[in-house]
Amino acid sequence: MSTPAIRIEHLTKDFRLGLRGVKLRAVDDLSFEVADNQVLGLLGPNGSGKSTTMKVILGLLEPTLGKCEIFGMRSDSVAARRLVGYLPESPYFYRFLTGRELVAYYAGICGITRAEKPKRVAEVLELVGLTAAADRRVGTYSKGMLQRIGLAQAIVHDPRLVILDEPTAGVDPIGSQAISELIRELKRRGKTVLLCSHLLAQVEDVCDHLVILNQGRLVAQGPVEELLRREDLCNLAVENFAPAMRAEIEAVLARHGARLRRVDPARVTLDRLFLEKVGTKEQQDKGTA
Amino acid sequence: MIPALQHIGFIGRLTFLEAVRQRFFNFLVLLALALIGCAGFFRQFDFGPQELAFTANFGLGSMVFFGSILAVVVTAQLFFSELDNRTALTLLAKPVQRWAFIAGKLLGVAMLMLVFVVLLTTLLGAYLWWRQGQFIALWHLAHLAGSVDTELPESMRVHFDGLAINALLQWLKFVVLGSITMVVASFANTNMYTVAVSFFIYLICQLQYIALEAYQTVDSAVVGSLVWVLSFIFPNFQLYSVGEMLVFTSKNPVPPGAVWAAIGYSVVYIAVFYGLAVFSFLSREI
Repeated sequence: MSTPAIRIEHLTKDFRLGLRGVKLRAVDDLSFEVADNQVLGLLGPNGSGKSTTMKVILGLLEPTLGKCEIFGMRSDSVAARRLVGYLPESPYFYRFLTGRELVAYYAGICGITRAEKPKRVAEVLELVGLTAAADRRVGTYSKGMLQRIGLAQAIVHDPRLVILDEPTAGVDPIGSQAISELIRELKRRGKTVLLCSHLLAQVEDVCDHLVILNQGRLVAQGPVEELLRREDLCNLAVENFAPAMRAEIEAVLARHGARLRRVDPARVTLDRLFLEKVGTKEQQDKGTA
Repeated sequence: MIPALQHIGFIGRLTFLEAVRQRFFNFLVLLALALIGCAGFFRQFDFGPQELAFTANFGLGSMVFFGSILAVVVTAQLFFSELDNRTALTLLAKPVQRWAFIAGKLLGVAMLMLVFVVLLTTLLGAYLWWRQGQFIALWHLAHLAGSVDTELPESMRVHFDGLAINALLQWLKFVVLGSITMVVASFANTNMYTVAVSFFIYLICQLQYIALEAYQTVDSAVVGSLVWVLSFIFPNFQLYSVGEMLVFTSKNPVPPGAVWAAIGYSVVYIAVFYGLAVFSFLSREI
C-alpha cells in the first residue's frame, strides 16, 4: 500500500487566549488519512477547526498533541513543504508585481531554476487562463483572477499535494466552474487535492472523499458516494411520464414490497442552467478570441 | 546556491522593491534631499569657510534624523504588511525556513537604508565639493595677493573619504536599529506598538552613555553590575556620532582602529538582534 498523501493521527490543537492563558481547543483528537491521488473535501461550519487543521498540515502551526505527516514526512519539515502547493482563502498578493513576476517569484522560492522558470511560469499561467493578463499588475486583478493567480503560484513547482482553501470564494459561477475543471485536471495529472469549501455542490461535484468536522471533532468521513447514498431509497428517471401511469407503477412496486415515495419533475441545477445560458469559461474565451 | 540563501535573496529583493514603492520612503528621501539641497541657504549668512562645517553638520543631522525614522517605520511596516495581508502564510507554506524569512526581510531593509545613505551622502558630498572649490579658489586669489597664510585653512579641508566612512557607519547604525525593530515586531501584535517601542529603545540607545556615566560613579556593586549588563543589552548609538570628526579631521580626529571597532560592534549587535528575532518568530502562530 502506498504512503498516504496526508496522515493525521490524534491531532489536538489548543490556543491560549488572553493574559490568563485561557485554553481554546480548536481541534480535538482528529485522525484521518488522504490517499495519494485523492480529491478530499474538508467540510465544516465556521470555527470547526478546518483552517487550524490546514495550517498544521502546512507546517504553519505546531500540534499540541498528535502528529501530521505528508507523504511520510513531518508536515513542518522543509522537505515535506516542497511537495505541497497552497492557495489561501481570499489570497492577497504583492500588488506591485505583475502576474508573471508574482508566479516567477514563487517559482524561484520553490527552487525552480532560472533556465526552466519562464517556461514553467508560462505553462501554469496558461493552465489557469491568465496568459492574456500575465503582464498586468496584480493590483488590477479581479477577485476571480486573484484566485486563479493564487492557483498558479500553488502549482508552479508541480507539487504532489495541492491544498485549496475556499478557492471559489467570491468567484462567479463561470470562474467557479473553471476552478472545478482545474481540480479535475490536477487529479488526472496524479495530484492529491485537499479542498476546503463552503460551496457544497462544488465539493460534491469534484471530491471523491469527504471529511466533515464540527467543533474541532471528526463527525463523518469516507467516499462521497458512500456518505451520500441512501440504501433504502433510489431514484428512477423516466422519460415521457404521464400521471396516469402512476397507479400502475405503484401497483407493480407494491407487488415487490416497495413503495413510491414521490414523483417530482426533474430539474437541472442552477449552476448548470447558468452555465448553459452564459457559457463556460472556455466557451467565453473562444468567443472573445 | 544553497536554497536558504536563495530564499533570503528573493525575499530581500522583493522587500526592497516593496519598500522603494512606498510613499513614505519616497517622501522621506525627498524631504532629506530637499533639506540638504537647501543648505545653499546658509550662504546668505556669510559664515566664511565655516559654512562647510555647518552644512556638513546639517546634512549629517538630516541623514541621522530621517534615517532613524525610516529604519524603524519601514521595518515595522514591511514586516506587518506580510502578516496582515497574509502573504507570509503563502510564503511560509512553501519550503522557506522562518529564519530565512526574517533574514530576507532584514536584507531588504538593509538594502533600502543603503540606498538612502548613498543618495544623501552623494548629494551632500557633491555640495561640499562644489562649495569647497569656490572657497579654495577665493583663498588662492587671496594667497596670490599675499593677504593670507601659506597653509590652506583646516576649515576648507573636507575629507571625502571620511564622509564615505561616516556613510558606512550610519548605514550600520540604521541596520542595527532595523534589527531592533525586527525583534519587537517578531512578538508584537500591531505595527503601531512596534514603532512606539522601537523608538523608545532607540532613545535608550541614544542616551545610554549618560546613564553609564552617571551610574559608574555609584559605589553599589549590584547597581554597577546591572548597569554593566544593561550597557551590553542596548547598543551605544553615540559611537556612530563621529561624522564631523571624520569629515573635518583636524578638530578632533577619530582614533585609529575606532572605525573597525564600530563596524565589529555593529555586526555583533545585528547578529544578536537577528538571532533574538528568529527565536521569537519561530514560536509565533501566524
